[in-house]
Amino acid sequence: MLAIFNREFRSYFTSATGYIFMSFFLIMSGIYFAIINLISGNPNYNLVLSSITMILLIGVPIITMRLLSEEKKQKTDQLVLTAPLRLSGLVLGKYFAALALFGLTLLITGIQPIIITLFGTLPVGEVLGGYMGYFLLGACFIAIGLFISSLTDNQVVAALTTFATLLLLLLMDGIKQALPIDRTSSIVFVGILVVGLSALIYFSIRNIYVSAGIAMVGFIAMGIVYGWDKTIYDGIMVRFFDWFSLLRRYESFAMGIFDLSAVVYYITFAAAFLFLTIQMIEKRRWS
Amino acid sequence: MGGRPLIEVKNLTKRYGQHVAVDHVDFTVNKGEIVGFLGPNGAGKSTTMNIITGYISATEGTVKVDGLDILEQPQETKKKIGYLPELPPLYMDMTVEEYLRFVCQIKKVERNNEKETLYKVMELVKIKDMRKRLIKNLSKGYKQRVGLAQALIGKPEVLILDEPTVGLDPKQIIEIRNLIKGLGNDHTIILSSHILSEVSAVCDRVIIIDKGKIVASDTPDNLSRRMSQSNRFMLRIQGPKQEVLDTIRSIEGVKFAEAQRVREQGTCDFLVESHDEVDIREELFYAMSEKKYPILQMKSMDLTLEDIFLKVTSQQKGGATYVSDLQ
Repeated sequence: MLAIFNREFRSYFTSATGYIFMSFFLIMSGIYFAIINLISGNPNYNLVLSSITMILLIGVPIITMRLLSEEKKQKTDQLVLTAPLRLSGLVLGKYFAALALFGLTLLITGIQPIIITLFGTLPVGEVLGGYMGYFLLGACFIAIGLFISSLTDNQVVAALTTFATLLLLLLMDGIKQALPIDRTSSIVFVGILVVGLSALIYFSIRNIYVSAGIAMVGFIAMGIVYGWDKTIYDGIMVRFFDWFSLLRRYESFAMGIFDLSAVVYYITFAAAFLFLTIQMIEKRRWS
Repeated sequence: MGGRPLIEVKNLTKRYGQHVAVDHVDFTVNKGEIVGFLGPNGAGKSTTMNIITGYISATEGTVKVDGLDILEQPQETKKKIGYLPELPPLYMDMTVEEYLRFVCQIKKVERNNEKETLYKVMELVKIKDMRKRLIKNLSKGYKQRVGLAQALIGKPEVLILDEPTVGLDPKQIIEIRNLIKGLGNDHTIILSSHILSEVSAVCDRVIIIDKGKIVASDTPDNLSRRMSQSNRFMLRIQGPKQEVLDTIRSIEGVKFAEAQRVREQGTCDFLVESHDEVDIREELFYAMSEKKYPILQMKSMDLTLEDIFLKVTSQQKGGATYVSDLQ
């Protein structure tokens, strides 16, 4: 894992990618810092951090698009996949390399709050919390980007898909509010989820009986739940999409609240995508 | 060749949807053997190699290397195999030395041995002078050598080389061939090629694959002996073109004769094909000497790989399967 990490981290700086990411990130955060803190004389640095979540939309695809797609395209995956190396080591090595680049860049922005302390009083605890939330948010985004990079051998496709996915996640809170919460549409929604899940299983294992069985079990479970407590269905759509609302959890950090459940949420979210990435590489070998 | 079987491939099948890339392939390779896979593009050579090395998984069948199954003990099995794929898996943004050091690390070469391994391998494939160069700036021949160096790291018992000489110039081809022959002393090697002469120059045994199936497996000598019974000749005869041609055509057993261009004053070149199982060379000689048309040159045409396939596969259709296993 360490070897992969070293290679990957180094290659950010032997190509332009690392420099582009860092300069883009630092310039953008600098602009926000100047406008929000310096010009208006406001010591609240967390306002800058909340404003620059949008930078991740473009920044994360830059550092994740290459990670796995390029290996496939250049056939170097034939080296790493035939070496006595665990798949998890490969994926984690790459993930931590991207995370380290992001963390390093974030560390450099630390100069900005230090500048504030020179001329005023900085709410240190709040800013540290804000940084932590921002780092965790980025960690989740990078995990998503890594996963998408494992789906294709084309960097551009990986970058655009990652961008679209992250955009959707950032807009999730707005979308959530427009969703219907009545019982009928909720039941239809759960039905669609069950069908979607069994279709996914069909396409990955190509066994009609297993996927049909899972759909049956799903519908029976839906019926039992309905008979047991109808109110469970109310607003289920909103609750479902809320799982993917990464930004809502970030808000508590931005307000200076250390929310342990949010930390656990972010780590679980990133771990889930890393797991999916490993599964995806594994599956490719079988198809 | 009395070694124990080191690679055992049983009933190996790989399907991509409806397409069968490898079709129930069985073979074993003994310790110390150099085996050549021969086949046209798309015959299933690379797929078979990718399965043996654990890059992709088989749909059916098993591969055992030194008794270990790659699915059950992937780490241990992969340690025993060095793999040079068709396209050397190189990171273009690294120097040769950095790259090989990275390979040492992922192949779990001990830190203390790293330097020694590196130098030994670079010495062996003669890339020491290039070690500070970026891989993307190397020529094709050197890239191939770096690829080979990569496969040698970690002291694998088995080397799998997919078309190791493709795209190299004649001098490099000879060098790489000699290198592979030398490696054969303490490695078991499977290499693939679509050039018959290459395989026969290096290998102890040749396995011919076509459309995912093994169609022949024999020593190169046996194979070329069978294949040398060619029935096509190139003749250069001194004499009037039309008469000579008529004389050739009058010989029994000639299936086809045609006059080709004049390359030497007063002579003409002829392409002659006889029916299978008939040797017309003697008759040809007497017929020509009778008419006083001296034969200046006679040579049998080399069989191309396509011809071999035609031969091997047509023999199979005739009922006599030609797979003689030599162990």
